[in-house]
Amino acid sequence: MWPRATGACLALLTALSVGAAVPPPLPAEHLGLAKLGAASPHWVWVFDESNNNETDMRLYLYDGDAHRQLGQIDTGFWPGVAMSPDGRTTAVATTYFSRGSHGTRTDVLELTDNSTLSITGEIVLPARHAQTIPLHNAAFSGDGRLVYVTNLSPATSYSVVDLSTKAVVAEIDTDGCVLVIPSGPRRVSSLCENGRLLTVTLDQTGHEASRKVSAPFFNVDKDPIFIQGEPTSNGIVFVSFLGDVYGVDLSGAEPAFAPVWPTMTAAERGKWRPGGAQVVTLHRKSGRLYLQVHKGGDGTHKVTGDEVWVYDTASHKRVARWPIDVKKHGGVQAVKVSQDDKPLLFVLTEASDLLVLDAMTGQSLYAEPKLGQSSWYLLNP
Amino acid sequence: MQQRLDHWAERVSRGIARRTSRRGFLSAFGRTLTGVALLPLLPVMRGSQALAAEPASKAATTDPNACEYWKYCAIDGFLCGCCGGSSSSCPPGTQQSPITWIGTCHNPADGRDYIMSYNDCCGKTSCGSCFCNRNEGERPMYRMSLNNDVNWCMANDNPNYHCSVSVVLGVAGK
Repeated sequence: MWPRATGACLALLTALSVGAAVPPPLPAEHLGLAKLGAASPHWVWVFDESNNNETDMRLYLYDGDAHRQLGQIDTGFWPGVAMSPDGRTTAVATTYFSRGSHGTRTDVLELTDNSTLSITGEIVLPARHAQTIPLHNAAFSGDGRLVYVTNLSPATSYSVVDLSTKAVVAEIDTDGCVLVIPSGPRRVSSLCENGRLLTVTLDQTGHEASRKVSAPFFNVDKDPIFIQGEPTSNGIVFVSFLGDVYGVDLSGAEPAFAPVWPTMTAAERGKWRPGGAQVVTLHRKSGRLYLQVHKGGDGTHKVTGDEVWVYDTASHKRVARWPIDVKKHGGVQAVKVSQDDKPLLFVLTEASDLLVLDAMTGQSLYAEPKLGQSSWYLLNP
Repeated sequence: MQQRLDHWAERVSRGIARRTSRRGFLSAFGRTLTGVALLPLLPVMRGSQALAAEPASKAATTDPNACEYWKYCAIDGFLCGCCGGSSSSCPPGTQQSPITWIGTCHNPADGRDYIMSYNDCCGKTSCGSCFCNRNEGERPMYRMSLNNDVNWCMANDNPNYHCSVSVVLGVAGK
């Protein structure tokens, strides 16, 4: 038996040595430049806070069907990020230093063509744009002509940038209120420390025409709302630390506040709660609202989620609980749902893993490991 | 001038912190911050209540480079003690932020609540060591004086963020 096996091995080595199995050399390659295909509702933008080197934050464009990264937009130091209403342009309001980490500070609004991921223009800003998390700190007007950029020095205001003239045309004092939440062609709302909503109406040129301050619509001491809101068909929806839902209709001259409804049962309230970086997302057509939750008490509003709970906003009923494999991926930092008829739910975790779920069934479709260094926010047009 | 004003602000805030209740301090100085862009810069009070005393780990009282150390109950950033500084001093070559916010942390070693000033250290890029995010009493950005998401180096000549410290201002009033 042994001599027979040895003989077979020798025969195989002989066959290989005569070169019959050696493939032909590879052809020369040409250095190429990839192009993006047509935009898909299943694309999502992943914001990497680059925690260990914050002057180098960025946005990754990811395809939820092809399961691959498509490209990147650089976003500097603590940017505000906005997508144009038509989805064609990304506006990044950020800070650069002339010597990398130090030197002269320049704040700038950079515009990127989302079909090429190339910068197409910039407008220098007053050097006081708000350096904080990227949500609601830059926004397009409804007609796409203006961009609003939150300022914080720590005095609060926002700059109004006219893209048609590439100029900062006005600075609106917000009297201690923060964020830019756009509605209609020329209205901007901001959240105030007493639970009110400041709404400023601008004229066609971007200057202040009038302002209104609402009555308080949430209790800042007992149950504050997260600043992250999700667009609805007529405005925006917020969620509070204890999980109550606050809908705000911004379609009229003054905001209108919908009745508040709870996502937690009496037994769950204060024990389970939303938490993480970006806690809620809404599929507008189906009215499904997705909330990442964990078990925890006061002070855990940035603790990441263990599960995603799904609600029907018409009936206010919870329709599903989807546990996340947090041992494998870490807890949930952010959720974002696509707005098409076969929506995907993107779930971003502490490990910067991007999970892709069927947003109707919760079925796990894919898990992209470690997409960036500290990717904590998700955006889509 | 800036340095003298900062020292004045620190002395004033420490004195007031010792003499007044937390909410009184908040009402007096929380409003002061808003709209003050150029003056240096009174720390502002966080209206939190220190969490009720919980069983503390050994590191909560003995290891100032551990995130669970008692002074860090609402800090968000890199601990300066891991970056060449300490829990109350900035690393060499950085600059202290003249504006900041204030919280109240419970020291399990002596059972007292202390008023803490959370300052950022500025002028160099992220330290990258000992990241710590705790949020006891932290509130969203619309309550600026209670928020740890903004870059408190924002008013520095070089607003780049490096690391964070937690400085004891005094025992919290009852």
